[in-house]
Amino acid sequence: MESSILESIGVEIIGVMSPVSICMLLVVLIVYSLSPAADLAPPIRSAANLVYLEVPTDSTTQKLEGALLNALVFVIIIAVVTFLLLLLYYYNCTGFLKNYMRFSTFFVLGSMGGSIFLSIIQHFSIPVDSITCFVLLFNFTIVGVLSVFSSGIPIFLRQAYMVALGIFVAAWFTKLPEWTTWALLVALAVYDLVAVLAPGGPLKLLVELSQSRDEELPALIYEARPTVSADPRNQVRSMELLFGTALQSGSVEMQPISGDHIGTREGGEHNVHPELIEAQSMNSSNSEDHLQDRDEVERSPLVGGGLGRRQSSGSSGSEYSVVVGSREPPEIVVVADEERSPLVDSRRHGNANERAVRRMDDDDDDDSDSVLASSGIKLGLGDFIFYSVLVGRAAMYDLMTVYACYLAIISGLGCTLILLSVCRQALPALPISIALGVVFYFLTRLLMEPFVVGTATNLLMF
Amino acid sequence: MKKKVDFSHLSSSPSPESAIITVAAGIGYALLALGPSLALFVTVISKKPFLILTVLSSTLLWLVSLIVLSGFWRPFLPLNSAASWPFAVLIITSVAFQEGLRLLFWKVYKRLEDMLDAFADRVLKPRLYPTDKMLIALAGGLGHGAAHAVFFCLSVLTPAFGPATFFTDQCPKLPFFLVSSIIALAFATIHTFSMVIAFNGYSDGNKVDQLFVPVVHLVAGMVNYFCLSS
Repeated sequence: MESSILESIGVEIIGVMSPVSICMLLVVLIVYSLSPAADLAPPIRSAANLVYLEVPTDSTTQKLEGALLNALVFVIIIAVVTFLLLLLYYYNCTGFLKNYMRFSTFFVLGSMGGSIFLSIIQHFSIPVDSITCFVLLFNFTIVGVLSVFSSGIPIFLRQAYMVALGIFVAAWFTKLPEWTTWALLVALAVYDLVAVLAPGGPLKLLVELSQSRDEELPALIYEARPTVSADPRNQVRSMELLFGTALQSGSVEMQPISGDHIGTREGGEHNVHPELIEAQSMNSSNSEDHLQDRDEVERSPLVGGGLGRRQSSGSSGSEYSVVVGSREPPEIVVVADEERSPLVDSRRHGNANERAVRRMDDDDDDDSDSVLASSGIKLGLGDFIFYSVLVGRAAMYDLMTVYACYLAIISGLGCTLILLSVCRQALPALPISIALGVVFYFLTRLLMEPFVVGTATNLLMF
Repeated sequence: MKKKVDFSHLSSSPSPESAIITVAAGIGYALLALGPSLALFVTVISKKPFLILTVLSSTLLWLVSLIVLSGFWRPFLPLNSAASWPFAVLIITSVAFQEGLRLLFWKVYKRLEDMLDAFADRVLKPRLYPTDKMLIALAGGLGHGAAHAVFFCLSVLTPAFGPATFFTDQCPKLPFFLVSSIIALAFATIHTFSMVIAFNGYSDGNKVDQLFVPVVHLVAGMVNYFCLSS
């Protein structure tokens, strides 16, 4: 009995959704276990708080205006730094960028990760001495730095460190006051939309630059690579075929073939079973081309990444009000930086020539490792961070809002991935999810909670 | 800022085993409500990514239905617990709405099935087996059941992680959380399998199956209501 299609559809989507879910779950756990301490701490001034420090006793309009102002300033800072990054990339300072990324990873893992570990140790009274702690933290940080940009590190370790980075940064962001957090999330979603889709947007330019040079983006991106590829048959880009089939409605479209792929055939790179290729060639040539083009997704960046140009508060304890921020704003902001990058879905990286040669050489080379090494959906680290910030903020209210926001974000991510497989260009992953998340949070908090709590405490279920 | 849940209408008394009612108890109640669903998920659903997506989307659908219902009922809340007939109306409208939604889910599922079959033809694989169809229905039902358990049981479970417990009025020896978890377990089972029965009934045109599901749902809800009002 042949395996059914149900075995293989949707693998890529789950490959992206699982780390996002894990990140959100751990941030919620951190928020739940550490939140009482945070309430008593004086507010820290950071890049997200530059203009207005929210105090619970302010009036509503004051809070609203202050939050909007904070969000505006933050988005402007991020936009400026993204343009700076773009400029550096344009002038080929990739060495500098990579070292900067390594340094910022070191900094985030060491200082922010360290402070979170310290709070956990304090909260649960774990008996460990400071020297051991320091040595362990140092090792953890160094391995993280190594795994981010070097080759030869197992992909699972790299993915784990990406998720860890997302968790630490998100846990820090949840320390911001409430109104500022919501205003920031909405402003960043709008910024992401503009920066990736508008013609002059910095992220769009960055992605186009990196594609024209056929290099990887110099950024912290999570790659949902298939970690073990046992069966080439299951690697067909099923989502695209599924939705392509649905949209096609019987007529055949000719897709524009990009310059890289002129004259190339389906071939091995696609990990399509050889029988399948022959069968397809028996169909009309039009539909065959159509399928091939659909399968040749090389550059559909689902770019959703966005790293936050983040707050400059590098210091760990909340006892120090961060003078650091005001003293050296540009450097520290840039230091704690991770890059915003769109959600990239690049099936094949590498030289166009190499690829064409490889393709024409052998059709049977389905399992070339270098090809498998570069397929998969990529999601930028900023998306992890801001999804987790939203869910963490929902966790500060109630478990119901957490669940509702989690579902909203996951469904937004799913919609974006489906759009990716249809549109096949760089797409921002923040707007849909954040919009749905915010809407569901307020609906749940205002509408659903009195209803459900009222019936549940009366043991009245349906 | 956490919201305060109003437990004041329950009787609370210091329990003799208050020393051991801690995190372990809380986790126990949660697993009581969600254990079989979790087992189903891990053994059957997590193997096929498409089923995970089905679970997520059916949970979302149930959540949306709950939001719509609460939007409708919001002006009438908080209900006065002295007069109990408004609760009956609440349950009947909610059950009717959810059953209507099940029909909608069925229609969407038919479209999806056509898409999947066309896709299967494209990639020259066999079409959906009957087992596959039932698996998808199971995943849909599991999504509903898990959402129900989370929203109705887990969300009020947070006090159970503390050092004491509440007891119910009618059975002063049973902790409130235990009763809540058991009812949530029952409803999760009902939701999970009624989807399978309903889909089978719709696809075969079997009237008995089609009617069985809403009737069971309504009876379960009304039994709860009668317990409350007595």
